[in-house]
Amino acid sequence: MKVSFKLNGRSVKWDCEANESLRDALRRKGITSVRNGCDGEGSCGLCAVILDGRPVNSCQILALQAEGCELATVEQQSRERKLSIVQRALVDASCVQCGYCTPAVALAVQDLLERSKDPSEEEIRDALSGTLCRCTGYEQFYAAVRIASKRLTDPGYADPAGPEFRKDLRHVGKDREKVDAAALALGEKAFVEDRVEAGACHLAMLRSPHAHAWIKSIDTAEAEAMSGVVEVLTYLNCPGAVYTTAGQGFPEPSPYDQRMFSKKLRHVGDRVAAVLAESPEEAAAALKAIKVEYEVLKPVLSIAQAKAAGAPVVHSGAVSYVVGEAPAGTSVEGDGRDDPIIYQFPLHADPHHNLAASVADGIGDIEKGFAEADVVIERKYKGNRVQCTPMEPHVVYAKIDSGRLVIHASTQVPWHLRRIVATAVGISENKVRVIKERVGGGFGAKQDIVLEDVVGYLAWKTGRSVFWRYSREEEFVASRTRHVMEVTVKLGAKRDGTLTAILMRLDADTGPYGQHCLTVPMNAISKSLPLLLCDNARFEVKSYYTNLSPAGAYQGYGAPKGSFALQTALAELAAELGLDQIDMIEKNRVRSGARIEILKSLGEGRPGAAVTLGECGLGEMLDRGMKAFAWRGPRPESSDRDWRLGRGAVIIQQGSGLPGLDSANAELRLLRDGTVLMLSGGADLGTGLDTLTSKAAAEILGLEMGDVAVISGDTDITPFDKGAYASSGTFFSGNAAVRAAEDLRDKIIATAALILGEDPADLKIAHRGMVKGKKGEISLARLAHMSTQGEGHGELVGFGNFKTEHAAFPYGAHFVQVAVNTRTGEVRLDRYHAYQDCGTPINPALAIGQIYGGVLKAIGHSLYEEMLYDDNGRCINANFLDYKIPTINEIPKDFHVELVPVADEVGPFGGKSVSEIALNGAAPAISIAIHDAVGAWLREWPFTSERVLRAMGKL
Amino acid sequence: MNGIVDYTRPSSLAEALEQKAANPGAAWLAGGTGILAGDSRPRPAALIDVGRLLPRAIRMADGELLMGAGASFQDIADCDLVPASLREAALTMVNRNTRNRATIGGNLGANKSCASLIPLLLVLDAKLIVEGGKKTRLGAAEWLADRSGLVLEAAIASDPGRRSSYLRWARSSCDLSVLTVAVSCIVTSAGLSSLRIAMGGLASHARRFGELEALFEGMALPPREAIEAASAPLFNPIDDLRASAAFKRLRAATLLADAMHAAAGSALAASSPAATPGVRQ
Repeated sequence: MKVSFKLNGRSVKWDCEANESLRDALRRKGITSVRNGCDGEGSCGLCAVILDGRPVNSCQILALQAEGCELATVEQQSRERKLSIVQRALVDASCVQCGYCTPAVALAVQDLLERSKDPSEEEIRDALSGTLCRCTGYEQFYAAVRIASKRLTDPGYADPAGPEFRKDLRHVGKDREKVDAAALALGEKAFVEDRVEAGACHLAMLRSPHAHAWIKSIDTAEAEAMSGVVEVLTYLNCPGAVYTTAGQGFPEPSPYDQRMFSKKLRHVGDRVAAVLAESPEEAAAALKAIKVEYEVLKPVLSIAQAKAAGAPVVHSGAVSYVVGEAPAGTSVEGDGRDDPIIYQFPLHADPHHNLAASVADGIGDIEKGFAEADVVIERKYKGNRVQCTPMEPHVVYAKIDSGRLVIHASTQVPWHLRRIVATAVGISENKVRVIKERVGGGFGAKQDIVLEDVVGYLAWKTGRSVFWRYSREEEFVASRTRHVMEVTVKLGAKRDGTLTAILMRLDADTGPYGQHCLTVPMNAISKSLPLLLCDNARFEVKSYYTNLSPAGAYQGYGAPKGSFALQTALAELAAELGLDQIDMIEKNRVRSGARIEILKSLGEGRPGAAVTLGECGLGEMLDRGMKAFAWRGPRPESSDRDWRLGRGAVIIQQGSGLPGLDSANAELRLLRDGTVLMLSGGADLGTGLDTLTSKAAAEILGLEMGDVAVISGDTDITPFDKGAYASSGTFFSGNAAVRAAEDLRDKIIATAALILGEDPADLKIAHRGMVKGKKGEISLARLAHMSTQGEGHGELVGFGNFKTEHAAFPYGAHFVQVAVNTRTGEVRLDRYHAYQDCGTPINPALAIGQIYGGVLKAIGHSLYEEMLYDDNGRCINANFLDYKIPTINEIPKDFHVELVPVADEVGPFGGKSVSEIALNGAAPAISIAIHDAVGAWLREWPFTSERVLRAMGKL
Repeated sequence: MNGIVDYTRPSSLAEALEQKAANPGAAWLAGGTGILAGDSRPRPAALIDVGRLLPRAIRMADGELLMGAGASFQDIADCDLVPASLREAALTMVNRNTRNRATIGGNLGANKSCASLIPLLLVLDAKLIVEGGKKTRLGAAEWLADRSGLVLEAAIASDPGRRSSYLRWARSSCDLSVLTVAVSCIVTSAGLSSLRIAMGGLASHARRFGELEALFEGMALPPREAIEAASAPLFNPIDDLRASAAFKRLRAATLLADAMHAAAGSALAASSPAATPGVRQ
């Protein structure tokens, strides 16, 4: 049918099917700013358009309903690619992180300002109530609206500068525009889905309806014969290699226990068969024609079931080790039906008893420590399964170009992706190119290779271009989730609060496969235990296979659950001793110059070493938080008899990459006109890493930000980088960029010295783009020109590699105030202050935005996010209607982030990591505050109203 | 979107009703926030788009508030003529983009347990003006029993002295309502009079709770604890992913207590203040 309407001021007449949504029609016609995050549930708002003057979700409107309407998308705001007032304000207020939601936010704000020139906070919340953002924590949107509002009457208005650091530097420590922000705000092509070419085939996956089953038979003949079907792939015709999907440094500390397709199905949503077809409709139709007979097995649906005697075995294949031997007493013989399991090195595993990995170690003598204690407590804490929910689901587009496999990926780990896909497909790495596009949120889930293997194989096998984008349901059940962890903490202390012994026993549920099975649970220990100084400490970590959704990396990487357990237990012990919980922290916390002995036991897959800490900002952070919360003053009291107020505070830490294990590289080229091109291996996920590497070049070479262009994460063009995980971006990729810039600077100086006839020691780089000596000067443009001519010395290129044994810990102190309704169990978060040390904040507003975003994710995890399963292992809330993530309405009334920098001697310009640590504080701080309010300890998150009432004994 | 093969946009109500008569399986389409939600959910094969045919105006006529079935939730929220409790009920659909599309007619037609407006329409004794049904004017509860015909308007008669309130419980701001309660009553010196209570989330549809109304009719407003104790045993919710039946029972009782106190007003509830939104005279 024909539909005519006005789109961005121009009349259009389109052919649309009756069942085509307005969202799909707009995207089909090239309106890239219209996105999709919830598959038409109307929950995310990313497909927003202005229809007859009102913002609406275009997913729930038929294209034919637009007949005669006036329709506007964000493209209307920015004729000739110039940012509108609203878009510019969003960029200036650092609201653009991954940018997937930015066009929708821009439309909502535009509509708001047309209704209200000077909107209140309530009006701003209402305007943005329909837009989900997982990156920013929404707080900075208020500033963006305020800026845009003022510029309506005063176009030159500039908001007062935020906090600045390092007065000795031009760019570092000051807010600069994020290098990709403008393109993202304009809604231009940036993401994988924008790269799909005409004629591309579409992949659809038949998924297991059973949590645990064998495929008895599978018949794909009818599907293969259907119109448009190019290929059907099952365990019968896929490559035989087993691998891990974990994008970790090789050799990975994760077992190779996954084949592209397996005869054994290990979770609801596991791969059964893939159909490649020429249209999504044909692929979906063919899926229905595949006939499968299952032998259903009893599933393993909890850690307790996994370790019970006689439990069903999730993996029953033969076990082998590339290096080392199987632990004594474990079986390695397979049952002949299941796929093999290959460990790169021993992880104290016993997979035939569902134990994927384990580790135990410690310092001192804990029995002696507990014997010396005046008080000993033992508590068990549980954190449930949550999903990363990037607004852009997993997506990939692969094609064959000049005989090579080219993969446009939304990934955190381009180089690990290349290696794993090459292994899975059975080709060499030089046949594979990975191009990391803008990533619409990763948060750890995109550290795993969950769809690129099968897409890469089918593109390689058929020669066809292949596009596959997860549905939101697939994102829940077949992506990666945060491990369920059960942590038992035993603490002993003297009456004055001095800890004498700490024991942490941690059981984790890795799900059906073992990606990150050791390292995530281990991180729960290694990012919590070193916060407390105690001579006697021990940990025991076990990670079990179950038949629930796959676990993996998620921002914080286990640390939030370790932090929840240990910090809450410390507060419980303080309560036992009658001490203020901050006095208890002060008595035992790590501090400047402390020797952290426990790090001897906490090497990442290799022997660790004790560390003497340099400067530690925890004392300052605690002081600031105590002052803001008037901690030593009278308790806050509620005037409403239903509500009681409580406060909580915690200290937290993270790392900055993996010392001794990972490395990063960068290359910096001087171009003919004196500008430079940064080739960074780093994977910017919306975190601002490209802005950081750009700043490094501009700072060191005396340039402006616009003089630096960045290409990153392209395995053909940019040098190797370990990827964006373990809080390594700033520290590793940033330092590689610094070194590349320093290398280029040195080469510039050396070349200029030859040209000017001066001693290199007398030459300096000067702003902007000049080399100045005692006798003369030369511009970088002139230098570049001369270097690339026949009489020159060749193109000037700097190269930087960074690796280190230095561990740079960011620290933080988080304070909360909650109100708890004693009749209903409702928890209202009134105040949340995050004081964090990220070393020198390279781009302060972006750092603050990442902290807001991290904290709000953790608030969601703490209060209501939880994947729920039925008795058959099926996730029953795998969508945004039933699994709620925070909206702008969920942010605390008083939401405050403050940077307390303590420069690191190795970090780039003194910088450390910033993002992951922000997730470590909410759960324990809120739990402690709930106890402070109503006297009940919440030891399982999320702290739903129901759990609160049960803890209070009211249900 | 799955399933839809036939979409029509009739030019008049008469034509729309003819099309419906010719194809009873066809579904009415207005805002589409319910029937078009979810890309992979099954859809009716045929849709009759009446979005531009339904009245959208909200107006006073002959002592009644008349709300067009095509009025959106945002229209309701923005209109000063609408009772405050009903405006706030509309705002419990927190997502503004959805409020801009969702209509009164759609809320009635879908008749979901968590419907935002239905409980209040029930306790305000709303009449529906219907085309193509068994009657042209009937009570909301009566129409909801079989939903025949196309609702054109909802009418609420002026009822001086009647107070109303609306509360809901959801896990987070943008979650579907798990429990809803609407209360209206006239407060006299003798106590609660003409008490009406409707609740959602406790069965497949929201409904009036005559047993609760009878329990408290004519009484002085009881303390909240008494309302909770008396009402909780009458609720039989089910376990679902949002909460256990036990929690819902308790929460429904607290909601009811708060809503009754909110409707009756602070004068009678001075000894038991309820800090609740959605209360207007």
